Amino acid sequence: PDEDGSGGTCKKYSRDFLLTFSEQCIILPVAFEIPTDIAESLISDQVNNAHADPNQY
Amino acid sequence: ESLKSLSIANNQPHLLEHAWTFWFDSPSAKSKQVPWGSSIHPVHTFSTVEEFWGLYNNIHRPSKLALRADFYCFKQEIEPKWEDPICDNGGKWTISYPRGRADTSWLYTLLAMIGEQFDHGDEICGAVVNVRGGQDKISIWTKNAANKATQLSIGRQWKEFLEYNDSIGFIFHVNTFSVEDCFDDCMLIDPSQT
Repeated sequence: PDEDGSGGTCKKYSRDFLLTFSEQCIILPVAFEIPTDIAESLISDQVNNAHADPNQY
Repeated sequence: ESLKSLSIANNQPHLLEHAWTFWFDSPSAKSKQVPWGSSIHPVHTFSTVEEFWGLYNNIHRPSKLALRADFYCFKQEIEPKWEDPICDNGGKWTISYPRGRADTSWLYTLLAMIGEQFDHGDEICGAVVNVRGGQDKISIWTKNAANKATQLSIGRQWKEFLEYNDSIGFIFHVNTFSVEDCFDDCMLIDPSQT
């Protein structure tokens, strides 16, 4: 299986594999930039959602 | 040496098969009576697992989005508009949830798409969650609605990924199909009859 993306031409990742990254990656990408009015509607004030139980997503 | 190599490999970003773009159509922008589609804005494009989580963990879940908001995740080269040539002959599968109950299914839909878990993933344009009165609707847009077998495969796999047991409906975008068929628990619907 190419769970890590290195074993085949198509990069397949299972849900369980992807979920293992959920708590490691909590920072917005450096280049992230959107208008203020959209940010207020879309961006969470708290990034600690990343530590929530996956069942709460 | 092998452990060192493994460690280096693990620090590499995990590239996705496709780059994906989040789009947002805010209720406030739509309320300004602008032409349909002009209030949809790209939020950010990501191409690695790590970038996806960095975005997802900071963006509201569907249950926290305002009423009438639309949040999209589409392949980078496709605009989430039926006018996009790639979407023009497509259709969409839709599942509706009571307001505030779609968060897990939205995440699992995203993970199935970006993780290439669909056998016919190339036929998928992207997904959207629409926040409406009393309901959160999730849809998967497809490219070629005329390919019935492919549409049914996508619908059935989506239900499996979400562990969704009720019937789901498929709506053709282009109203050139007169077919209405039922296949077990996935239904192809002629939009002229809806």
